[in-house]
Amino acid sequence: MTTAETIDLLLQSAAKVAAGTHRVDAKEKLQDKLAELVPKGATVFCPKATELEKTVAAHLAGLVPDYLSAQVTVEEVSAAIAENGSIVCTSAGGKPVQASLIPPHHIALVPKEKIFATLDDFFSAQTAPPPTNMTIITGPSRTADIELNLVIGVHGPEKLDIIVV
Amino acid sequence: MSKQTSLTFRENAREAIADAPLRASMRNAADTFGSKRAAAIATLPDFEALREKASAARLNVLDNLRTYVDRFSQNATKAGAVVHHAKDAAAAREIIAQVLKDHKVKMVAKGKSMVSEEIHLNPHLEKQGFEIVETDLGEYIIQLDGETPSHIIVPAIHKNRQQIGRLFADKLGVPYSEDPQVLTKIARKVLREKFLTADAGISGANFAIAETGSLVIVTNEGNGRMVTSVPPLHIALLTIDKMLPSLRELPTFIRLLPRSATGQAISTYVSVLTGTRKPQEATGAKELHIVLLDNGRSKILTGDCREMLKCIKCGACMNVCPVYRTVGGHSYAATYPGPMGIILSTLLGGLKNTHPLIDASTLCGACNEVCPVKIPLTDLIIKQREHRVSEGLSPTAISAGMGLFGIATKSPFLFSLGERLASIFWPILRVLGGKDVTGRVPRPSSLAFRRRTK
Repeated sequence: MTTAETIDLLLQSAAKVAAGTHRVDAKEKLQDKLAELVPKGATVFCPKATELEKTVAAHLAGLVPDYLSAQVTVEEVSAAIAENGSIVCTSAGGKPVQASLIPPHHIALVPKEKIFATLDDFFSAQTAPPPTNMTIITGPSRTADIELNLVIGVHGPEKLDIIVV
Repeated sequence: MSKQTSLTFRENAREAIADAPLRASMRNAADTFGSKRAAAIATLPDFEALREKASAARLNVLDNLRTYVDRFSQNATKAGAVVHHAKDAAAAREIIAQVLKDHKVKMVAKGKSMVSEEIHLNPHLEKQGFEIVETDLGEYIIQLDGETPSHIIVPAIHKNRQQIGRLFADKLGVPYSEDPQVLTKIARKVLREKFLTADAGISGANFAIAETGSLVIVTNEGNGRMVTSVPPLHIALLTIDKMLPSLRELPTFIRLLPRSATGQAISTYVSVLTGTRKPQEATGAKELHIVLLDNGRSKILTGDCREMLKCIKCGACMNVCPVYRTVGGHSYAATYPGPMGIILSTLLGGLKNTHPLIDASTLCGACNEVCPVKIPLTDLIIKQREHRVSEGLSPTAISAGMGLFGIATKSPFLFSLGERLASIFWPILRVLGGKDVTGRVPRPSSLAFRRRTK
């Protein structure tokens, strides 16, 4: 699978599970995309743990230091898996994985070189002992516990946007 | 309803069949699950090959279970967890209660765990004064109503939206609504508060990875992530058979489990949790206790139904079972209903306490065909039926009848006498037995087949 095909598969699969899917071909355009996705006046959490996060944080309005009070999290994820349109968040590098869980809107930045084609590719690439928390996320939180009716947004985010950079 | 046991299965089932809303819920569930699962399986290039692979992987685990359990315990300990081994339900309950006491816990946020149902954990902890809050939406609904799960994946499948709406209005004092969207958001709000203030989280686990000492938890709502990462103390309760050798086996099971369970290609969240929070980390429980429960599994492993332990608890077998679909999960009066439940419940609880359950199968084999790890479910049910005979637990009428038949077949005279008596007494039997007899037993022919050929 070429990189372009992997990106296409990732975004198509993610769209099937109700994630918002976006692509920006230059880092400069990421600011515009974020300005479009983050609601005006929203409180935003960004871990500022990676270069990409530091760059985008410089232009984000409404930044708060704590994810507990944030309405939106903007973060770079550890990896993405095209097979099912998944993103991977881990505790490596001191990142709080709860930031992808507690705020109602999660915006995941996926550098295109971090996309794996399949689950097997992803797990065979994990050579070091796993970090304390590694969570594969596919779409926003959901339930079908009432008459098997799909409801989006239970305990986790109600909205998930994936931006391939 | 409170006197229902597995031994009264026939009466329980009769009551369930007369319950129109229950029948409607079950029909809706069966139809929805059936079509969703079929669509999800169709996205796999070779489902059959994947089942073979999963079955072989699970058999390997069972063949070397002791090794994997030891390896898991060592690696989990190395990663910072405290691993406890519990022989039976009482031991597991005691270990968990003690950990909670040691940490002066008041409130526990709990993720969905069928093993905790198996050992009746909640009532035990509540009796000791701990507040236990179920956080999976389905589990929360039935906890509010003081019920037990009727399905291992969708615990409140037996309830319709009107019943849930009235329950929420009653217990939570919210305005009545029957909109699943509105009801879900109410639960989100109530439970969010609980997650953030709970002193401990208790969860189950779908898999335990021997090579890394990791727990794998597969969820959709996000409550599993909450209870395992937000409170400072996390207790995970799982049975020893949940082992997988390494993370490399995981993709096969991630592809099979959600597809078989809910018809999803993957669940929303697959969490791999390894040990406790390290210095400089911002995520993970500060203390992790893992309770590895045997509760009869070692014994099952040495018996002729050991393949039952390949089970990954997806619930596909109950969704296709014509008996389960008709009578619902509560009729079984056991932790695990449906075909896998019949076998596991009789193995865990002993035939003496559960044997009417083994009649709750038409042996149609639909369960065998959907099982993602290829457990020969109907073969195992037949084995349990054989055990019922050898343990002398067959219903009196059947064993007396079979006994008489055995005597008669040894003597041509008695056999033909029996034939004649059957024709003579048939009209009386019809009156005495009513529809139960005439509906099932054909009228004996006045001229026996073997005499026609003379």
